[in-house]
Amino acid sequence: MNATPAPLLEVSDLRAGYGPTRVLHGITFNLAEGSITALLGANGAGKTTTLRALCAMLRPQGEVRFGGRRIDSKATEDIVRLGIAHVPDGRGTFLHLTTEENLRLGAYTRRDRRSVEEDFERVYGYFPRLKERRRQQAGTLSGGEQQMLAVSRALMLRPRLLLLDEPSFGLAPLIVREIFEIMRTVNQRERTAILLVEQNAAMALALADQAFVLETGRIVLAGPADAVRRDDAVRRSYLGY
Amino acid sequence: MDAFLHQVFAGLAAGSIYASLALALVMIHQATHLLNFAQGEMAMLSTYIAWSLINAGMPYWSAFFLTITIALVMGIAVQRFILRPVRGTSVLPLVVVFIGLLVICNSLAGWIFTYTIKVFPSPFPAEPMFGQRYVSSHELGATAVTLVVLALLYGFFRFTPLGLAMRAVAQNPVSSRLVGIRVGWMLALGWGLAAAIGSVAGMMVAPIVYLDPNMMSGILLYAFAAALVGGIDSPGGAVFGGFLVGVLENLLGAYVIGNELKLSVALVIIVGVLIVKPSGLFGTVQVTRV
Amino acid sequence: MTTPASTSAARAGGSISGAAQATIDRRRRRVRLFGIALLVIIALALPFLTSSYRTFQLTLVLVYAIALLGLNILTGYNGQISLGHGAFYAIGAYAAAILMDRFGVPYWLTVPGAGALCLVAGFLFGLPALRLEGHYLALATFALGVSTPQLLKYKHFEQWTGGVQGIVIVKPDAPFGLKLSPDQWLYYFTLATTVAMFVLGWNLLRGRVGRALVAIRDHPIAAATMGINTPLYKSLAFGVSAMYTGIAGALGAIAVQFVAPDSFTILLSITFLVGIVIGGLASISGALFGAVFTQFVPNIADHISKAAPWAIYGVFLIGFMFLMPGGIAGAIRMAWARVGRRSAERARAQRG
Repeated sequence: MNATPAPLLEVSDLRAGYGPTRVLHGITFNLAEGSITALLGANGAGKTTTLRALCAMLRPQGEVRFGGRRIDSKATEDIVRLGIAHVPDGRGTFLHLTTEENLRLGAYTRRDRRSVEEDFERVYGYFPRLKERRRQQAGTLSGGEQQMLAVSRALMLRPRLLLLDEPSFGLAPLIVREIFEIMRTVNQRERTAILLVEQNAAMALALADQAFVLETGRIVLAGPADAVRRDDAVRRSYLGY
Repeated sequence: MDAFLHQVFAGLAAGSIYASLALALVMIHQATHLLNFAQGEMAMLSTYIAWSLINAGMPYWSAFFLTITIALVMGIAVQRFILRPVRGTSVLPLVVVFIGLLVICNSLAGWIFTYTIKVFPSPFPAEPMFGQRYVSSHELGATAVTLVVLALLYGFFRFTPLGLAMRAVAQNPVSSRLVGIRVGWMLALGWGLAAAIGSVAGMMVAPIVYLDPNMMSGILLYAFAAALVGGIDSPGGAVFGGFLVGVLENLLGAYVIGNELKLSVALVIIVGVLIVKPSGLFGTVQVTRV
Repeated sequence: MTTPASTSAARAGGSISGAAQATIDRRRRRVRLFGIALLVIIALALPFLTSSYRTFQLTLVLVYAIALLGLNILTGYNGQISLGHGAFYAIGAYAAAILMDRFGVPYWLTVPGAGALCLVAGFLFGLPALRLEGHYLALATFALGVSTPQLLKYKHFEQWTGGVQGIVIVKPDAPFGLKLSPDQWLYYFTLATTVAMFVLGWNLLRGRVGRALVAIRDHPIAAATMGINTPLYKSLAFGVSAMYTGIAGALGAIAVQFVAPDSFTILLSITFLVGIVIGGLASISGALFGAVFTQFVPNIADHISKAAPWAIYGVFLIGFMFLMPGGIAGAIRMAWARVGRRSAERARAQRG
């Protein structure tokens, strides 16, 4: 009697663009509670646009359902309150505020003060370097530390879905591995679903359960991460062998 | 020496008023990158409201706090109804809207309260305190009130979640949305606070210069000069600039150029700072991206 | 009285043959010339049809029109916001008064004299203003506007400026024994000057200079890259704009017959701003509409309260920014374009 649970996120025929330029031409996909999904594709394929459309940073057309409720006409602030945390490309750190203030802002919408303090400890546990630098201005942190801070800020929301836009961008491989390890831990411990946009296809496919490949605004390949990784075209274009 | 000290203290007292108005200007500029030309007139209108309340029999401090609250609401309303629709347009429409606001506030005051000068009471005793001769009780009291307001504001921004959210919005509105901050309401609140600070400045200066619809235009100029000197995006700089401009104005007026030309001090400071060092003493330098 | 943008907007309303469009353009040009001719005839006849006081008011309308055209060149066409043009008006007014009263210069010579003085003053102010953009330029000019009365009252200038009391001027009589009252003569003198200034402006603005100014306003970096000498144009715009306003100030002083510091407060600069916003930014005819508005609204609204005209100004400033950003001239232009589109459609349908 195991009914498949409803997907956490259902996207139907999502179309979006910037002004007169249409970037997404109708993409459809689902992701399940607690799953990790990789969104791959070349530059300009529409990966970042997809994440922005999900958060209403631009006005999408089509249907987006989160936990069964339609969110495609909601404002960003309301979508955040439903439990979607977005780590944008460029990280979006508040550079003039301290590390600790950045984290506190991540928990801005939460009312449960004691769990917020627990989450501080937990996040410092994942990334001890942030605890060392917690009174430092965020702009003085290194690139890797800022990425850790950006991810941690998103985790402070205790999101049901975490959107990550190219977390490996510009970072040394060691740091990238550290961050990806934490993401796996968070996913396993908190059952946080993750939608990961990445150019580093190998690492993304190693982490993810399922993957989609975007090409000029359309999904051209979809399936379990293993299958996608073994696909010839993907190997040639994105994995380099 | 006596006269010199008197000028310095009077300058500090005036400076406290410039500092508060300059702070209001900086708050709005930080959040919106706009210069609020109507700040002075809004403060003046709030002071008239206080005058009406006191005239109707309300005790001074009740009227004081009620006026601050009314000014807060007025500021929020102005942002929501007048400024939000024109947000994001080019500079000229925005400047025009601010001037329109200035003119409306000025004419409302003139219409409702007429242009005859009115006396505004001071809550402080008439005789100088502590038996000294350099500064009147009102000047001392006004400076104290200003410092209390500044301290409260500092505490608000530094230690409360709402203050943190407002600082975040001023720096990075996009990321603020991503953590769930309702950016529009934060901007409105910023306007409300600026209006509230302005009302305090108005109520503190009115006993000295007497209440009339045109009382704030010169003071606004000093406040702009102070904000620019301190750095248009530095609240601490605005406060420092306010006291500096106050003392400078008094000393130059008494010893160098005479009291009738004091406004030109503000003009020279404004044009000078804008040309020589637009970021002021404590502000950050803006780089234009081509 | 069109800017380059409007003609193409009208043309964009539908694709018709080049010949048909040319016919419509010719017809509209004829209508416009006819309209201007009619306006000039009415203007010439007016002093004989109304009272002396009305003639005086109409003179002031013309004076303001010149000032508004000046401000429009700077702010409307070139995008440099000035909240301090009252200062240049004051310089022109005081120049005329001082030349007439202290040096016995004939009135008609003081007008170009004031213009020349303000051309230089404006250019000099425009040089440091090059470093200021948008709000900051508005602030610097705002400071200038607010401090003007105090500067005029400065006691070391008193022997020239007459201090707080100002200077009284005598209105000139009509020359050559013409059978005109001083008010009427002054009206025609001002009218001639206004026509000259408007023709000069029209020539400047519809040619290369106008296009350069607009390019600097809308795409400053591209304009500089294309070889337009931006600093020179911007400073010249300031100078020419100040010259217009200074000439207006001189004429105004002669009409009103006196100058005093408190006539030139920040409210004067704001009145000019109201004039170009209501009349229409970047529009020559807008200067006329704005001048009529700012002259006659206080007349009508003054009865209600001394503050009422300003309340109206404020509401109109904000309202026009929301509803009619092109001002009256802009609204007329849009209606005109719609008429042109409709006649083009009708022409096409007839051939259909």
